[in-house]
Amino acid sequence: MSHIIRFKIKDIQPEKEVVFKEFGIPKIDLVSEKIQQLYSEAIKVFRETSKPIVIYSEISKEKFQNIFKGEGNNSAETPVDKIFPKADNLILFALTMGKEVSEKIEILFKENDFALGSMLDNIASLSADNAVKKMEELAAKDTKNHEENYLILAYSPGYCGWDISGQKKLFEYLHPEKIGITLNDSFLMIPLKSVSGVLISRKSEIHKFENNFSFCSLCKTKSCLERM
Amino acid sequence: MEILNQISEYLQQGDDDKVFALTKEAIEQDLNPKVILDNSLIAGMNIIGEKFKKHEIFLPDVLMSAKAMYAGLDQLKPLLASKGISGLGKVVIGTVQGDLHDIGKNLVGIMLKGAGFDVIDLGKDVPPEKFVETAKRENAKLIGMSALLTTTMTNMKKVVDLVRKDNSDIKVIIGGAPVSKEFADEIGADAYAYDAGNAVECVKELI
Ligand code: B12
Ligand code: SF4
Repeated sequence: MSHIIRFKIKDIQPEKEVVFKEFGIPKIDLVSEKIQQLYSEAIKVFRETSKPIVIYSEISKEKFQNIFKGEGNNSAETPVDKIFPKADNLILFALTMGKEVSEKIEILFKENDFALGSMLDNIASLSADNAVKKMEELAAKDTKNHEENYLILAYSPGYCGWDISGQKKLFEYLHPEKIGITLNDSFLMIPLKSVSGVLISRKSEIHKFENNFSFCSLCKTKSCLERM
Repeated sequence: MEILNQISEYLQQGDDDKVFALTKEAIEQDLNPKVILDNSLIAGMNIIGEKFKKHEIFLPDVLMSAKAMYAGLDQLKPLLASKGISGLGKVVIGTVQGDLHDIGKNLVGIMLKGAGFDVIDLGKDVPPEKFVETAKRENAKLIGMSALLTTTMTNMKKVVDLVRKDNSDIKVIIGGAPVSKEFADEIGADAYAYDAGNAVECVKELI
């Protein structure tokens, strides 16, 4: 059975430092008063226009196996392949910041308000990432297993060998249309500020892997290292 | 000329209201629109571009200056057009079919306009034919494409193939996170740029 919850904006709004870092600004006090004002304005617009919401559902390993297989386009070996069979619990999810904030970003760019538009864009993208972290926390609270080194991490189609076409089966199972997310022909979610994936819970050791898969040589983020 | 320096100064401060008012004044003083464009707006944006490259200012500063530039440019455009004056050349940009990521492409467009190019932005999810048809119709010298997905970057090749099929001399430049110099070579594109500043340098070299 699937569940739908709305996030509180204050729970997912990114820290000012993080937003500035995204712009390559190492320290808040390096920026002008104007940029500080711009940030405050963008936060105000963000609070007015974003409607963060998630749909999620527990799923058995057998059913997930089929979803993960997707359209048969995954790399031969992937981290998720190795991790999910050892998991205690799997939860599929799709979340979005809603269409209003994406539309607002577009309007701002059309009106040549590039600075406010891209500040808002960054805040919305970072909030989507934070919403995934919030899901990981929520799932952790729900688990009966409170061992110390217990870890719940999200993995998404489009990352680390899980082909983005995997979105198709994920959507067929979860029906994120219920919260206003649809897929386009190239398996992108509309609205743009949306994230999908699976939460895998188990002892932290299972999330550790050697990042030497065939596709890792092209990876610029190496984001697995931060998470492991 | 004092007023042109002032416009450039206010542009660098990101003060769009002042740039709007002073450009209006300069036009009323009958200054040549091409001179206003080159010596105040583009000159100001060039300084901003240089400062950004040297890490003296940050991206939001550049974007505020870009807004100020448009406040002047939008008034000059009809005057330039009526005199048949064009900028450094027309370029057509867009995000390839299937892809919705447009922030990177938008930044590239802003910087190209700032450098004096006439930018025709086709938006996102742009079919290959539309890139080529628009470029031909508008007599554009270059097509710039953006893709953020490995699944959509293959659409870039379709555009290159269409351009080459016609033996057209339209140049093609590509960019976006999964794209690389190697990929550009592989599909026969003329150039790859890793960010908006680099895009301006490459486009200047190409046309
Ligand atoms: C922020 C982000 C998001 C944000 C929103 C993105 C947005 N634009 O609104 C959120 C968190 C919502 C998100 C979600 C997802 N994302 Co995402 N995301 C990113 C991230 C980290 C940054 C993209 C970005 O905006 N960069 C900022 C801009 C300014 O940079 P840029 O676009 O690269 O542009 C610069 C240059 O490339 C160049 N350039 C760009 N275009 C052009 C054009 C020309 C002509 C030239 C010369 C130069 C040029 O100049 C630009 C300016 O400097 C990238 C990773 C990355 N490193 O890029 C992944 C990335 C794009 N996402 C990815 C994925 C998979 C997803 C999801 C599908 C995950 C999921 N299952 O939920 C979803 C899809 C969302 C959807 N609607 O379907 C993948 C795509 C991989 C693939 N297989 O193709 C990436 C590459 C991450 C990865 N795996 O490494 N994402
Ligand atoms: S290096 Fe990159 S592609 Fe490889 S597992 Fe880590 S995050 Fe995924």
